[in-house]
Amino acid sequence: MKLRTLLLSTVTLALVSSAAGAQQDVLVIHGGQIHTLAGAGEIADGVVVIRDGHIVAVGGPDTPVPDGARVIDATGKHLYPGLFDAVSRIGLTEIGQVAVTSDYRELGNNNPHLQGATAVHPASEIIPVTRANGITHTVAAPAGSGLAGQGSLINLDGWTIEEMVIDPGIYLVVQWPSLQTRGFNRTTRTAFNRTFKEAKKQYDEQVAALERLLADARRYDQAAAAGQIAHRELKLEALARVTRGELPLLMNANDKRGIRDAVEFGKRNNVRVIIAGAREAWKVADFLADNEVPVILGATQSLPTSEDDPYDAAYTQPARLHEAGVTFAISTFNASSARTLPYEAGQAVAFGLPHDEALKAITRYPAEILGVGDDLGTIEAGKIANLIVTDGDPLEIQTQIEVVVINGRLVDTDNKHRRLYERYRARPRRGSQQ
Amino acid sequence: MWRRRLRGPFAALVLVVSILSPAAPSALAQAPPPWFAISDVRIVTGTGEIIPRGTIVVRDGLIESIGADVTPPAGAWTLEADGLTAYPGLIDALTNIALPSELRAPARAPGGGGGRGTSGSGASQEGTSRGPEDRPATFTWVTAADHLESDDSRIEAWRKAGFTTVVSSPDRGLLPGQAAVIDLAGERPNDMVVRTPVAVRVKFTKSRSFRGYPNSLMGAIAYVKQVFFDARHYDKAWSIYDASPAGTTRPQYDRALEALRGALATRQPVLFPADWGREIERVIAIARELGVTPIIYGGRQGYAVAELLAAADIPVLVNLDWPKRDRDADPDADEPLRVLRYRDRAPTTPAALHAAGARFAFTSGAISDPSQILTNARLAVRAGLPAEAALRAFTLGAAEIFGVADRTGSLESGKIANIVLADGDLFAPGTTIHTVIVDGHRFDGASVDGAVTQADGPDADAEQNGGQSDPDTEQENAESDQDAGPYEPIPMVRDRGPVRTADVTLIRNGTILTVSGERIEGGDILIRNGKIAQVGRGIEAPSDAYVIDASERYVIPGIIDAHSHIAAEAINEGSVSVSAMVSIRDVLNPDQVAIYRALAGGVTVANILHGSANPIGGQNAVIKLRWGGNASRLLMQGAMPGIKFALGENTKRDRDPDRYPASRMGVMDVIRTAFLEAREYRDDGRRYEQALADGRQGVIPPRRNLKLDPLVEILEGRRYVHAHSYRADEILQLLRLAEEFGFRIRTLQHVLEGYRIADEIAEHGAGASTFSDWWAYKIEAYEAIPYNAALMTERGVLVSINSDSGEEMRHLNQEAAKTMKWGGTDANAALRMVTLNPAIQLGIDDRVGSIEVGKDADLVLYRGHPLSVYGVVEMTLVDGQVYFDRTHDARMRRELAEEKQKLIEHQAKAPKGRDRDRRRPTDRSQAQETSR
Repeated sequence: MKLRTLLLSTVTLALVSSAAGAQQDVLVIHGGQIHTLAGAGEIADGVVVIRDGHIVAVGGPDTPVPDGARVIDATGKHLYPGLFDAVSRIGLTEIGQVAVTSDYRELGNNNPHLQGATAVHPASEIIPVTRANGITHTVAAPAGSGLAGQGSLINLDGWTIEEMVIDPGIYLVVQWPSLQTRGFNRTTRTAFNRTFKEAKKQYDEQVAALERLLADARRYDQAAAAGQIAHRELKLEALARVTRGELPLLMNANDKRGIRDAVEFGKRNNVRVIIAGAREAWKVADFLADNEVPVILGATQSLPTSEDDPYDAAYTQPARLHEAGVTFAISTFNASSARTLPYEAGQAVAFGLPHDEALKAITRYPAEILGVGDDLGTIEAGKIANLIVTDGDPLEIQTQIEVVVINGRLVDTDNKHRRLYERYRARPRRGSQQ
Repeated sequence: MWRRRLRGPFAALVLVVSILSPAAPSALAQAPPPWFAISDVRIVTGTGEIIPRGTIVVRDGLIESIGADVTPPAGAWTLEADGLTAYPGLIDALTNIALPSELRAPARAPGGGGGRGTSGSGASQEGTSRGPEDRPATFTWVTAADHLESDDSRIEAWRKAGFTTVVSSPDRGLLPGQAAVIDLAGERPNDMVVRTPVAVRVKFTKSRSFRGYPNSLMGAIAYVKQVFFDARHYDKAWSIYDASPAGTTRPQYDRALEALRGALATRQPVLFPADWGREIERVIAIARELGVTPIIYGGRQGYAVAELLAAADIPVLVNLDWPKRDRDADPDADEPLRVLRYRDRAPTTPAALHAAGARFAFTSGAISDPSQILTNARLAVRAGLPAEAALRAFTLGAAEIFGVADRTGSLESGKIANIVLADGDLFAPGTTIHTVIVDGHRFDGASVDGAVTQADGPDADAEQNGGQSDPDTEQENAESDQDAGPYEPIPMVRDRGPVRTADVTLIRNGTILTVSGERIEGGDILIRNGKIAQVGRGIEAPSDAYVIDASERYVIPGIIDAHSHIAAEAINEGSVSVSAMVSIRDVLNPDQVAIYRALAGGVTVANILHGSANPIGGQNAVIKLRWGGNASRLLMQGAMPGIKFALGENTKRDRDPDRYPASRMGVMDVIRTAFLEAREYRDDGRRYEQALADGRQGVIPPRRNLKLDPLVEILEGRRYVHAHSYRADEILQLLRLAEEFGFRIRTLQHVLEGYRIADEIAEHGAGASTFSDWWAYKIEAYEAIPYNAALMTERGVLVSINSDSGEEMRHLNQEAAKTMKWGGTDANAALRMVTLNPAIQLGIDDRVGSIEVGKDADLVLYRGHPLSVYGVVEMTLVDGQVYFDRTHDARMRRELAEEKQKLIEHQAKAPKGRDRDRRRPTDRSQAQETSR
């Protein structure tokens, strides 16, 4: 499943390049407070040993360190797992309003075989900007109507997409149909205004169409197993991964009705469902908990969905879901502002979510929800070495991210913003120019 | 059955009636009897007098005599009306009955876009308006009386429902024309006219067949103002010219102004639409500014402003088409409390107006089944309106408003014989209209049939549904009389306005971040009459003080957002490249929940800006978030007026129809040309003043130009420019252009590349109001960096951080903290960027922005440091009053939820209908308004 990154060269650390740099075989970070987010809890004056892109040892100051290792002294600093933005468009879009720079949306509503990784632009300026704030991996997710395509789990570092990809198809993005009587169709750029009956009919038809596709996939899969397939159907092949339970459906649904119906759909069709966006999840929190359906929330810093909702409905939503026992992650669903991921979690803490839970909602929980909990999400031996060294709490705005390690590599945190800052900061003062 | 009571020649008349009616009601007029009498009838005269048993003699269309002792003249046809009651004929105070479809607003089709085509609107493609001079959607010269058609099926339908008289007015466009009072009978259309013209109509919405300017509520208001100012100027110019044509340039003829000139000269009232309280207040202000006598139509939230209407003595034509839940709506939709309350309380409006002593009449609005009109009025009676007052509103009250009380509206001798005979109390359920006499013509029509269907009237739903009768009708009728008990609205929880008020307040023992001075640990702030009276430690609480314990709390000055679009019903007038004539002040929406949400984020002052659609946009409004107050209370008095400019992508974007500019070259050209025009305009004004000073006679003054007035104010340093801008090059161009005309840009908004030319910005003296970390959402934001604020500050630019978003506005403290992370701004300087710096930029730093003695007590209490992601606003004060309190909020939401549940249960029993308001621009609170 995984494409292992090669260690490329012997360039010294001081000259680490902006993309995948080269290091010595072993990297050791010692002296810092390790927040493992796992059973080991906090380790003071801890040691992390990294080799071949993986964490090989985590422990106290007595942890054995191999000779010749590249050593980073993190005394007085903090180590955290790298932050994970589980639904983003990083690499799939560069400039929002310039359509030609976007590749996350394909035509049509039946594209289960498409994968984000196919179009991720490794040289996107957004990648270094984002990882400089501690986000080490993400799922580059397609969007669109119906079956939008598969999200690709990638590290935010690599010379090529092959070096970045962890899993090219980790979920299938579904835009759950909306039941709107009035609104604006962005595709046709016209306002629509129809009766509830008409809207409901269309909604039911769209749901039924999804259901038929899954049934088709099951038949196709059985036929394939029996060797009766004359020619390959890529869409059905992809959907068969869903019906076999290998690929969860990431159901984008924000309102109560959509969330409920998407969950029921999953049960009815015996497929795994993750609810995404979920702005009204707090209104159906018990339902989600009872059905043990995980949720990937969008930005905490959002307005309420209804005029009468409490002003802090979105701020308190993570705390409410936590209290109800719902498993959830927090994500940005964005590209250029993905670096604000820790503040979305921090806002939830301000409004009642335990700090530890908030941290896990952008590290460990998304990994577990996506089935990669053995590889990512905590600082534990055996996991992919994605971690950060900070001067404090990573959810706090003023905290600086000092070291970023992705896939075992010490990553340069230089980026477009810092370059422009330094360049223009150095502009001679007017009047002092000769 | 009552025919049997007839005797003599009267029976023959009945025969005529039954033959000709209802197919050809106008034919009736052919043979009116010279006189007839109604005897043994109970008479409700409409003047307050009730005659238990009397006689009415009608002759030549007039009431010849009326009273208990009146004897029918010999030979008169006499109707023995024993058991019947005579009322004055009812008046529907605003309709478009008898007008051809081309003078009516296009129908709103269900399920479609509505109002876009030309069919039925009569407004064939009108061309694209480029400004007020094109007189867009203007038909002031059209007068209803000139266009009457007697074959409108509603004439008979309304008559059968008891209406003898209606006010009819064209209603297409912004200035649809002039209204007439007409009687619903007559052989020829001209026979119908009772008085014309009686009012000029104004609307603020137009159909899409009128393209171009104006395309927003703001623009429509500005246009209406300009036209009225133009009409006064036109009158003056022609008067001067006509007095001495020789040597004077002849003013240009303008039929739109010619008609208005006449209307103004005869002091005709002006009909303004307004349903919600805020709309009513807005219309009152506009009428006052224009110096016209308003009549408000709509008025369904009149219950909230009844006292105001009474005090201003402004009559209201209450629309009896009570708001209903849309039968096509999603049954699970979460309807706002605001709407549920409106629906619940609208029928109490007439009672409230009556109690307050305001003048009012009734209009059928979009009701298509006229029998529904009285049914709906009955609901108002059940809601506390005395039946006599209801009758008055339908008769004499309406006649007085339109200046025809001298001829109709009551049963008095000498008045027009407009009479209704009913078999009981008009406002009692089950009462039937037996006979209607219009202008002395008798119409026998015992029962009222179902809906009148119309192809393109204001409510063409029935036709659009395929000719089926409108299901509304059956439901509405079914409702009508099932519940005859008193109608009582659900009590409202108080959810607006200060949570707590006190003249003297002491905030005790907090960590005070004054911003302008030292941080004070364990500090106190004494507030008197809304101002900060004392700041320090150990201040004694005066005996009358309300004490707020601020231990373990941080206290900072209220946050000021220098760029916001909340609390406004329109943002952009993008139809023209210069829309300086429009103003956010005209469209403030004090009902938007966004105001409360912003308070909960510690914001106390916001600069509400026009959008960025055009190089010179509209005027701003600096508001204080006095939630619960009306629009004028939101306005921060003393704040320097401002205007929005915009450069770059948003202004040059493709538009339909095409609009100059399409490049940054054109953007600067538009601005430069506008200021050249403004200079000439200013000079014209000065020359005129000089001529007056020189004692010259017969000089025509320059026309007041609402577009150029604000630009002259800019040239004279009396108005701030807030310029939306991104790229360093365009910013520099604008600074130089302003310098060329001798003024300064007050703030550069967004200014994402400001870091590249920070020295030039500082030299010019412009402030910079930017985002913390937004970038890459468009090309001109691709070089944006989060260090921008810190870098510009380092170079001496006065920097603020703004939101441009109803969400981000709620945590500007966090956005300020980002300047510490990106660029190392110190804590106090960061806090300044959302308090004192924006105050300076808006010219209100003498009032707000820091915690200092003498300033307004706009304060925020935080649990946790305000520059931390964990800081939470616990309390927000504006002018010393607590407008947000998190503890109170928690309590209030429970109460509001209970109220809402009651409303939902109550309304679940009510019939559903066509929600005719659903396309109205009522509340944009859910929209994340942004002009980025």
